Amino acid sequence: MSETVLEKLYSELDFAVLATSDNEVFTCITAPPSWLQQLYPTIKKGCHLTQEELPAFLQHFTFDAEEHWQRKQKGQLKSGLWMEEGPEDSEWVLEATAILVEDNKLLLLNFVHEGQSNRQEKQLMRDNLLTQEKLELEVHRRTLQIRQREEEIAIKLIAASGKRDEETGAHIRRIGLYAAEMAKALGWSQLLIDDIKLAAPMHDIGKIGIPDNVLQKPGRLTEAEFEIMKGHARIGGEMLAGSNIPMLKLASSIAIGHHEKWDGSGYPNGLKGEEIPESARIVAIVDVYDALVHKRVYKKAFSEAEALEIMDDMAGYHFDPSLYRLFLLIIDKIREIKNQNKDDDV
Amino acid sequence: MIQKKICLLGAFAVGKTSLIKRFVESIFSDKYLTTIGVKINKKTLSISNQDINLMIWDLEGEDDYTKINTNYLRGAAGYILVADGTRAETLNTALSIHTLVQDLLGDIPAVLAINKADIEDQWLISPDSIDNIDKNLTIIKTSAKSGANVEQLFTTLSCNMLHIKE
Repeated sequence: MSETVLEKLYSELDFAVLATSDNEVFTCITAPPSWLQQLYPTIKKGCHLTQEELPAFLQHFTFDAEEHWQRKQKGQLKSGLWMEEGPEDSEWVLEATAILVEDNKLLLLNFVHEGQSNRQEKQLMRDNLLTQEKLELEVHRRTLQIRQREEEIAIKLIAASGKRDEETGAHIRRIGLYAAEMAKALGWSQLLIDDIKLAAPMHDIGKIGIPDNVLQKPGRLTEAEFEIMKGHARIGGEMLAGSNIPMLKLASSIAIGHHEKWDGSGYPNGLKGEEIPESARIVAIVDVYDALVHKRVYKKAFSEAEALEIMDDMAGYHFDPSLYRLFLLIIDKIREIKNQNKDDDV
Repeated sequence: MIQKKICLLGAFAVGKTSLIKRFVESIFSDKYLTTIGVKINKKTLSISNQDINLMIWDLEGEDDYTKINTNYLRGAAGYILVADGTRAETLNTALSIHTLVQDLLGDIPAVLAINKADIEDQWLISPDSIDNIDKNLTIIKTSAKSGANVEQLFTTLSCNMLHIKE
């Protein structure tokens, strides 16, 4: 192929070709395309450029190119794209290719014509990704807002029931935190953990439906009064039922199920074993623990060791034994919650 | 004159190009224009009576489909990782790039810029997650928009490269 044909070929391809023998001086062996003339007006056909006179990116690439030439491997080595400032604040995308042709070390420089459209496509894609990120963030923010409203409603409901009950705010808070810790240890999803943290404190909400003379009786309840008192589980379950809000559904199953016992001797439905929702089985354990280790008008506070001794006996007939084992495994965390949320603190 | 190559690295649209434009040309534009491949800028700094010519390599940011071209890192004497304070995930991207560069180039000077300090009240990168970053990595809160700490960012990296105490 004659030099003229090659020259035309380079011109058609919009390439500029630099040749070097020592990787120190580069000779432009083609007529520079118009884009090259605009970027580097000093580069003419036949001119010699030292490595320092090359554009900064090319200076860097010549090291990789030299390695490629030294290996005498067939094929080409591409530099990757780089940008240079073109006329009128435009930015041009360029690429260099190192090839070895009959021991001639050549650098082909080309203006990436599709660079602009590629850039526009990428720009569009990234703008879309940014919009998507913003939307996801907004959804997350709104979800949090809804969650905060749910929390507020739950707190108001709990407070309403607490007005007539002796239970302290700290007890109610602790039950949620203990239950969440248990749920976490069981590998529940974060969404469900957040739900039980709110739902568990509502376990006794049905007490709102128990007459004052029973609920606030200072002494021991008679058998008949105790039967009335037991109604709080069903009342609470019914109060919270019928909602599509997952947290309230969970709260309903906890309220109705937290006095059920593993052996079927509990109330109100006499459910047995795994018939009792796991959430209610969790609350049964943490509610008893919290009641035992804290002082009440009718009893002193037991030490943790004493409380666990009592609870050990309850595992198997009252509590789900495997959940109770898990409770013992995380007792350090449970104790931490207890210590950080004392009755006097709230 | 001492010449040093430095690279700016991070997720896309965190403000790498804007930081360079603010540093080199003292200008800022709100418009986001993606970088393709790499763009090289130069600026000379004078530090403790020493002139240092910075070759600033602005590498295309990472996204789900584009990872940084590690060929562009060769010869770098230091690098700036950039995260956007309002986009929490960009900190993870910056830190994972940090690990990648350390594996490739060893323990060369690096500074982490958490950009958009002018709207710090909207940041989603929490103080806790900043506290948990390796203490060997200098962290500077920058704003390409207001110019806050931009000069400081490049000066700090330059001092580290020259082993000069600021």
